[in-house]
Amino acid sequence: MLNRRDFLKAGAGLALAAALPARAAAGTAHVVIIGGGVGGATAAKYLKLYNPALRVTVIEANRSYIRPYGSSEVLTGHASMDDLNVSYDALKSKYGVEFVFDTVVGFDPTKKQVRTAGRQSIAYDKLIVSPGISLQYQAIPGYSAAVAETRAPSGWIPGSQTALLTQQLKAMRPGGTFVIVAPPNPYRCPPGPYERAALVTEWMRKHNPSGKVLILDPKDSFVTDATMQLGWHRLYGYNIPNDYLSDMPAGVKNSGKPSPIEWVRAMDGGATEKIDARTLTVTTKQGAVKADVLNIIPPMKAGKLAFDMGLTDASGFCPVDRRSFESSVHHDVFVIGDASIADAMPKSGFSANNQAKITARAIVAQLAGRAPGEPVWENTCFALAGSDYGLFVADVFRLKDGKIARMPGERYLPLDASMTKIRLAAAYQQAWLKTFTEDCFA
Amino acid sequence: MGTLMKYLVLAFAALAITFNPAHAAEPTGEAMAATCAACHGTHGKLGTVEYMPLAGMAETEFVRAMQDFRSGKRLSTLMGHVANGFSDNEIRAMAKYFATIK
Repeated sequence: MLNRRDFLKAGAGLALAAALPARAAAGTAHVVIIGGGVGGATAAKYLKLYNPALRVTVIEANRSYIRPYGSSEVLTGHASMDDLNVSYDALKSKYGVEFVFDTVVGFDPTKKQVRTAGRQSIAYDKLIVSPGISLQYQAIPGYSAAVAETRAPSGWIPGSQTALLTQQLKAMRPGGTFVIVAPPNPYRCPPGPYERAALVTEWMRKHNPSGKVLILDPKDSFVTDATMQLGWHRLYGYNIPNDYLSDMPAGVKNSGKPSPIEWVRAMDGGATEKIDARTLTVTTKQGAVKADVLNIIPPMKAGKLAFDMGLTDASGFCPVDRRSFESSVHHDVFVIGDASIADAMPKSGFSANNQAKITARAIVAQLAGRAPGEPVWENTCFALAGSDYGLFVADVFRLKDGKIARMPGERYLPLDASMTKIRLAAAYQQAWLKTFTEDCFA
Repeated sequence: MGTLMKYLVLAFAALAITFNPAHAAEPTGEAMAATCAACHGTHGKLGTVEYMPLAGMAETEFVRAMQDFRSGKRLSTLMGHVANGFSDNEIRAMAKYFATIK
């Protein structure tokens, strides 16, 4: 593994290597994109839509994409691992995006070149970096990547850990406890850990009726917390904490009986201090909890590549000019998606998709010698409290004093929403998995 | 009000129109429409039936739908929240853009 200094050195001194020519007239400029996730794929597609004459190359380690959004549905058998697989074929055949399936190991911002493990030197006029997140396993004492692959999966970047967690849930003893250790802010997919808790609870009602889901949280609140808890209450008899209860619709009353789903907040000692991987024990301020299945969603930072390329700041994410998402560190380098610092915008696929479009517009404008236009972004996170129980957060974002600000107003499903709307929101969530994938990749 | 005062008020009003930042800093219809695409499909063209196709929609229909979502006259799950984030002018610009898509 290269350290950052080696990484930059590997990028320099490329002169003798046969670098692909990049520089040309504006129409044939070369935009290179590192990372073929939601951000990178959307940027590639929209660059070609906005200026078909551009040459666009995506450098991506994997031959196809495994989508994280909706991946908790694999745990309950509602989706298969195959359903998560997204092809790059349409980007190649319909839009003429070029793909290099390789890993970037060197970067020279002066010569504007990147170098791959396969010893290719690729020159760019503009470079988009969309590296996603890195999971900070080591931030939790007792946890590690090795433990996540064998004993206590995170399943937050879908793949082998998603499959392992699914097997563990199925094999859990009757009456066992499925513990979810929720992450601190900021993290990818804000309603995600709580949607996962809901779907696992729903699954257990059928397949392990005396089983329990316990969420241990280092936070006191989360996006969609009121609407999600109302869903848990209605579907699973969850007891809503008093401070949330006052805002609930008339007639919502806790039974006081033990519920199959429980949320322990920071104020109640929910923050994890350490884990014991052998015994699947989580230690919090309140004491030790023994899990039967232990799902740890660790703290997150920008993808490792962003660190290697020197694009991060002390926060562990990448500072950018909010108008274009051009890096504050290097000219002609843009960082989009979860790795970027985007103020009020959550780290979500929808955000990455919208950032990619604004960045594609800004790059096309820059290459044509025009100033980038006024940006606007949206985000909608749909989430499920049960298969037929949908909810969401929806926002429009604008540039305000150099930062990204949320437009004021309602953003959640109203607490008094009818069951019709709630069912519709679930139908929209399922449809969104398809239309969104299409907008990014096809 | 004296004539000079009237003149100054008018001059200020004119300045406010010219330099109104909300007006000057307006995204294009195409840029705003791209935000819709993450649910409604690229260019408002769709592969599923759950979301309203926006491509080719008559301008008046788009504008009325967005205004009714905003006022609550038309029931929605989340479109009321989204429509709230855009001005009348911006809604018209989006409508113009979608009407041109075939």
